[in-house]
Parts: sequence; C-alpha cells; structure tokens
Amino acid sequence: MNRKKPFLARFSSWYLILILLFTYLPIGYLVLFSFNSGKMRTSFQGFSLRWYEKMFGDRTMLESIKYTIIVAVIATVVATVVGTITAIGLSKSKRLIRSIILETNNLPVMNPDIVTAIGMMLLFLTANVKQGLVTMILSHITFCTPYVILTIMPKLRQLDDNVAEAAMDLGATPFQALTKVILPQIYPAVFSGALIAFSMSFDDFVISFFTSGEGINNISMYVYSMKRYNLSVNALSTLIVVVVTIILILANLIPYIKGKKTQKEDI
Amino acid sequence: MKSFFRMSYPYILWIAIFIVAPMIMLLLYAVSRPGNNVLTLQFTLQNFTDFFSDPTYMRVLGSSLLIAFATTALCLLIGYPAALFIAHLPERIQTLMVLLLTLPMWINTLLKTYAWQGILDFAPDLTSWIKVMIGMVYDFLPFMIIQIHTAIAKLDRELITAAHDLGANRVKTFLKVTLPLSVPGIISGITLVFLPAVSSFVIPKLLGGGDYYLIGNLIETCFITWGNWNFGSAISLIMALIIIASMWFTKKIDRNAEEA
Amino acid sequence: MNNHLNPKKLIALLLLVCLSVLPLSGLADGEVLNVYNWGEYIDMQVIYDFEKEFNVRVNYTNFSSNEELYTKLMSNVSYDIIIPSDYMIERLIRENMLQPIDKGIVTNLDQLTDGVKNLSFDPDNTYSVPYLWQTVGFVYDTTKIDPEIAEEKGWEIFRTPEYEGKVYMYDSERDAFMIALKALGYSANTESDEEIQAAYEWLREMDKTVHPAYVTDEVIDAMANGKKWLALVYSGDGAYILSENEDMGFCNPKEGTNIAVDSMVIPANAANPELANQFINYILAYENSVRISEEVGYASANAQALEELSSEDGAYAGNSAYVPRAGYEKDEMFHDNEIMRKQLSELWIKVKLHE
Repeated sequence: MNRKKPFLARFSSWYLILILLFTYLPIGYLVLFSFNSGKMRTSFQGFSLRWYEKMFGDRTMLESIKYTIIVAVIATVVATVVGTITAIGLSKSKRLIRSIILETNNLPVMNPDIVTAIGMMLLFLTANVKQGLVTMILSHITFCTPYVILTIMPKLRQLDDNVAEAAMDLGATPFQALTKVILPQIYPAVFSGALIAFSMSFDDFVISFFTSGEGINNISMYVYSMKRYNLSVNALSTLIVVVVTIILILANLIPYIKGKKTQKEDI
Repeated sequence: MKSFFRMSYPYILWIAIFIVAPMIMLLLYAVSRPGNNVLTLQFTLQNFTDFFSDPTYMRVLGSSLLIAFATTALCLLIGYPAALFIAHLPERIQTLMVLLLTLPMWINTLLKTYAWQGILDFAPDLTSWIKVMIGMVYDFLPFMIIQIHTAIAKLDRELITAAHDLGANRVKTFLKVTLPLSVPGIISGITLVFLPAVSSFVIPKLLGGGDYYLIGNLIETCFITWGNWNFGSAISLIMALIIIASMWFTKKIDRNAEEA
Repeated sequence: MNNHLNPKKLIALLLLVCLSVLPLSGLADGEVLNVYNWGEYIDMQVIYDFEKEFNVRVNYTNFSSNEELYTKLMSNVSYDIIIPSDYMIERLIRENMLQPIDKGIVTNLDQLTDGVKNLSFDPDNTYSVPYLWQTVGFVYDTTKIDPEIAEEKGWEIFRTPEYEGKVYMYDSERDAFMIALKALGYSANTESDEEIQAAYEWLREMDKTVHPAYVTDEVIDAMANGKKWLALVYSGDGAYILSENEDMGFCNPKEGTNIAVDSMVIPANAANPELANQFINYILAYENSVRISEEVGYASANAQALEELSSEDGAYAGNSAYVPRAGYEKDEMFHDNEIMRKQLSELWIKVKLHE
C-alpha cells in the first residue's frame, strides 16, 4: 500500500505540471515574441519595445480595443442586471412557464455562434435597422444574458425560500426582501455570472462580425481581418494577459479580504 | 411571490424579439429559395434535399462530426485524470490550480490560435490533423477539466472513507464510487466541448491550412461567398437541430443515470 | 446592515458606468467618412493627413474579399467609400448600388496611367476611379527553379511532380480556376460546362501531384522567408516578396493571366458623398498615390507615381513584379457571372477536399 502512494503522487504531480506547461506555452510564446526586435514569428532576435510602439501608434487597433471594451462593459452590465432579476423572477414562477423560458433562454448558448449571428443579422435586415455599434451591443446582450441566468439559477434553487417570506411577513416590502435578503445571498453567483458575460463578450468574433457595421471593429474582428500578421498582435495579447491576470487576482483577493473584514467585525 | 415573477417580463420580451424572432427568420429563409420575400413566400424543402443529397456536403458534415468527436475524446482522456489529481490536492492549491487553468479562457480564442500558428511554424512537418487537434484541445480542455473537477470535488468524502472502511482498495473505490458519481460532470464536460466543436471553423481554418473544410466554413461560404442566404439558413437550422437533439439526448442519459 | 448597498445608489452607479463609457465611442463628433478597403492596402499616414487637411474623422476598416464586401453591403450598412475589384464593380453598377463620381470635384482624373484607362466595366469613369492594379502570377525560388524553365512551363509548373510539398496555392476559387482555364487555352470567363469541368480535372490533377498548401495572405511572409519553392500570388505581393528576398523571381505566364484593377467607388447610400469625392481626388493626387503604392507594393493608378517608382532610382527599380503586364492579349479581366460563380464554388470545395 505504501509503495503505491508515492508513485501515484509523483505521477499526478508530473501530469499536472505537463498540463500547466501545455496551457501556458502559447501564452509564454505570445509574451516572449511581443518583445522581439525582429519581425519574424520563428526567430527571436533580441529585446525591443517596437511592437508596443506600433500597437499604440495603430489607430485602428486602438479603436478596436476601445469598441471591444465599450461593448463588453455595456453588455455585461445590462446582462447582469436583467439576468439577475429575471432569474429571481423565474425561480418564483410556475414550473411550466419556467421550463419554457429557460429552454428558449438556452438557445443562444446551445446554438453554434454562427447560427445566432446569422439569425440576428437577418432580424436587423428585415427590420431595416442599420448595423453598427448599437446592433453589436444588442447582440452581445442577447448572448451574454443566458450565461448570467444559467449561473444564478442553481444558486437560487439552493436558497431557503422561507427567509424571504419571513422578511415580508415581518413587514418588509418585496423590494427590500429582494435587495436585503435575496441579493446578498446570491452575490457570488451574480459576480461570476458577470465575469462570464464579460469574457464571452470580450472574446466574441463570429457574432460581432455579422452584426456590426460601418467601421466598428472589435479586437477579434480586427485581428482576423489583418492581411499580414505582425507582432503588434503579440503586444496586444500580452497586454490582455496582464490585465486579465490582475483582474483575476483582484477578483479572488477581494472576497478573501472581505472575509477577513467580517471576521474582524465579528470580533 | 407573484410580484417577483413580474420581474422576468422585460427579459421575456427580449427573448421574443432577439431569440425567437431570429430563429423564425432563419426558418423562413431556410424553407424558401433566393428571390422570395416574406409576402411571396414559396414553401420548399429543396434547400434541405440539396444538402442531404450531395455527397460533398455530407463529407463536410462528416468531417465536422469527426473533429468534434476526436476533440471531445481527447479532452476527456486528458482532462479526467487532470481533474481527478487536482481534486486530491490540498484545498488551497486546488483553488490555485483551477485559477491557473482557467486564466487562458479569458484571452481571445483568436489570439491563442494565432499563437499556436506561430509555435507550430517551428514544426512545419506535422500533419495538419495534429495541428488542428492541438488547437482544438487547447481551446476546450479547461471546460472539460472544470466540469469534471466540480463534480468530483463535490463528492462526499464520507463515501470514499466508507468504501475504504468496507475494505475496497483504491482502484475499486475509484471504479465503483468516484467514477460513477462523477458521470454528471463528464456529461456536462462532453456537452460543453462537443457542441461548440461541431460548429468550429476558425481554429481549423487558421491551423489546418485549408485542409479542413467544415460545416462552419460551409455556412460562412454560403453567406459570404455565394450570397445564398437560404441555403445557408437551412444548413444553420440543421446544425441547430443536431445540437438540440444531442442536448436532449444527453439530458435523458443524465436523468436515467440519476434514477439508477 | 451597513454592508448592503443602497439599491438606488447601485442603479445610479451602473447608469454612470454605462454613460461614461459611451462618449468614448466618438459618436457625433463632427464630419465622419466611412472607408472600407482591403487589408494592408494603404499608407495610414495618408489617411491621417487627409483628416488633418479636411478636419474630419475617417473610420477605416478592412475586408478580405469582394464577396465579403458585397455581403456587408447587403446587410444594411452605410459606407462612403469602398474599393472593390473590377468584376464586383461591374455587379454593383448593374444592381444600381453605386452613385456617379462628381467629376467637378475629382479633377485629378487626368493623372491616370494608360493601363487603367478605358476599362470595360466603366470606360468613362462614371462610377469608379482606379486605385491600385495588378496581375496574378507566381513567385518562385530561383535557386531551386531555373528561371528559363519557369518561363517555359507557364501555369503547368504547378503540376510538376518534383515540386511536391513545395507549393502554395491561393485559396481563391476564381484565381485557381483562372490558371487552369488559361493552362488549357480557354477563357477565364468561359460559361461552357465542358471547359469548366476540364479545368476542374486540371486542378484535381494538380492537387494530387503536388499536394499544395491552400493559403491566403500567410503566403506573403512565407515566401519572403523562402518557406516553399513556388506560390501563386498577386503581383503587388510579389513585388513585396521580391524586395524582401533576392532569391525570389516572379513570372506572368505566357498562357495569359488575370489583370485586375481595384477602384474607389461611392455606394448609393453613402452618408457623405461630397466628402467622399474629395477623398477620391485626394488619394488620386501624385503625392498621395506614390506613398500608397510604395508602402503597399501594388502598382499605382497614377501615371507619375507608377513611372517614378519603377524608374532607376525608384523603390521598385528592377522589381519584375511591380509594373503589371499591360496590353498582352491573352490577359483578361474577370467579368461578373452568377452561374459561373456558383459552379466554381462548388467544384472548388471538392478540389480542397481532395475529391
């Protein structure tokens, strides 16, 4: 029995290390070559910041970053708010209606994104709506909200209904019951839902491609349309890696710090 | 609690406009031919018969399914042990591992795929099948690992200790306790990988060097190169139906497994 | 109790976030010109100079195929300037999607070089003003392939068994079928089923013989770095490759090839046609045309610019790919043909699937 243990422990450590290496190989490559003084993707010729200069000097690239962020922020905010209140509303509804709505809600999640994209494009075409920033935002909200709802629903099911009912019996308005009882309990799920929505919007290519218009690009559209790949894309990627890392660290530290704070308060 | 239900009205309206209406449009385009408009619609199934009767298109569908199966199988083979090992780590390190593995998920798929393009340039003799698989597995592996890990981590430790107490060795415990109870995780993992993989076209396009012509490429070609939106809509619908059918199918398996 | 956010404050905060982010989008910021062009097909400094001189903003975005451009136009967007290729312009004119150029504003029209005058799809420049032009040819590694052999073989070079695995083919059905049709002595615009079928067989043979890699613009950097021996390219990309890699040579095959012109046009639903005309005139002027052509490698439509860049002290002196072969009777421009389009597409998928 004891001889097996070390072997399995060693094997699992190596296995996980390999997986981590595999996971970070492209990221490391992107970051390394963003500092390449040469312009080839296959030979590193020394350190230089030229690609960062190029990136900050490339107006179209900067605009694509700007639009990506605008769309992602607006879509996330709307999706999170609407998704949360809808999820709460649905959890209190009859089973049949809830199933129908949830099944329909799942369509953008299950459908290949090209199907969602084409559907929205046909809708805008038929309704004679000019495509541009607004249509892109509308489509992002459409595919982000389902993820928020899907993240929150399981957590809502775990809640004890009686607490909210009790609060209202004691005189709280439904609104107060919502904000002071239900929301604080599902807050972590709302937060993850928001993060997921943001990352889906940020990453999107296909839906943005078909639903935007006149000069509005997001990062994925811009990179895809580049005729000749150059290393400023690596510079952009490195920047994204840095920002994402910071956000994830913060996202995990804040609940930790908050936890410590409430501990102190309890004391 | 009725007042709470009213909160979902706005979204229900949204669904009607932005989810249901587009699908209806897709359906209308799919059952008509180019040149029709909403008023003079001539119902026809020709788009569907054209698709299913053409061996080239069937090959394209077959390739997509094949790539999706292979990706899912590889993700499962590689991801299950990873999830298992992670679940046996001390809790702090587990959280760290999960964080490390999910970080790349936040970076644009396109950027990661271009990174692989660059890396694979160092090994030009690899077949394009391997290159595409590397790209696909890289993109989908975290989903599989997270789903399985969540399922395994939720397992009641008591069950495992109970099994040990009753005399089962590690292998038996795994086969009879851990594995069966982790099936819901496996199923969600498979769902989260297979379905998007079937309609993937960007990764195969960028890494496969034109060798892989898949359903997603076909739909893109229909709309962009041929301008045949009707045929494209029909194929999109077929894809959606395949996916909805698979989802329903996996849900059934899940329910049966739970009952058992 | 103090930990719970006041709901009204929360909503106010969220609204503030949304509103603060929106002004960044620069909507309603003064005159705007929406330009839709090929990727890497301009010197961005020219755009910035135009903005400064006319005190406007240019929204500059890219497309990667004429068909993509057409699809975008079909889906309810408004551009002021688009730069399609000849056959697409032919189609847009026929479908009444363009508006005429204002020749009172575009006075630089007399600066066009001969090779782009009197084009069949718009002989009087009623709708279009040429921008850059090119032929389709192939680049090859002169250290691996003898130039004499290249010139002699013409398009058949793509079916040389010795070059197996060393060939790039452009993933463009039009161009692929063009070389097959030319190799067989047919017209690139043929409507004959037999000829198209024969071209398909030619391409199948090619696929089986050399197993080419089907690529798009990756081919440019790849050949600049000598990754393979032979590639189908547009002459402008060829000019770039030759300027980066002195081992490379360029050839316009003797069987004839496709000659193409990309021109600036103004869509019928352009929001700002007057500014669009001014843009066209600006671009056509020598000092801007020459910068664009030098940066991109494709031949300029401006006579003086073309002359200067190909002359002895020009940037492309001695570069055999820079000036397109003009006036060769076997060279053809593509015409727009819907039936042929569909047929070629379907057959091309088969070629790529190795059927």
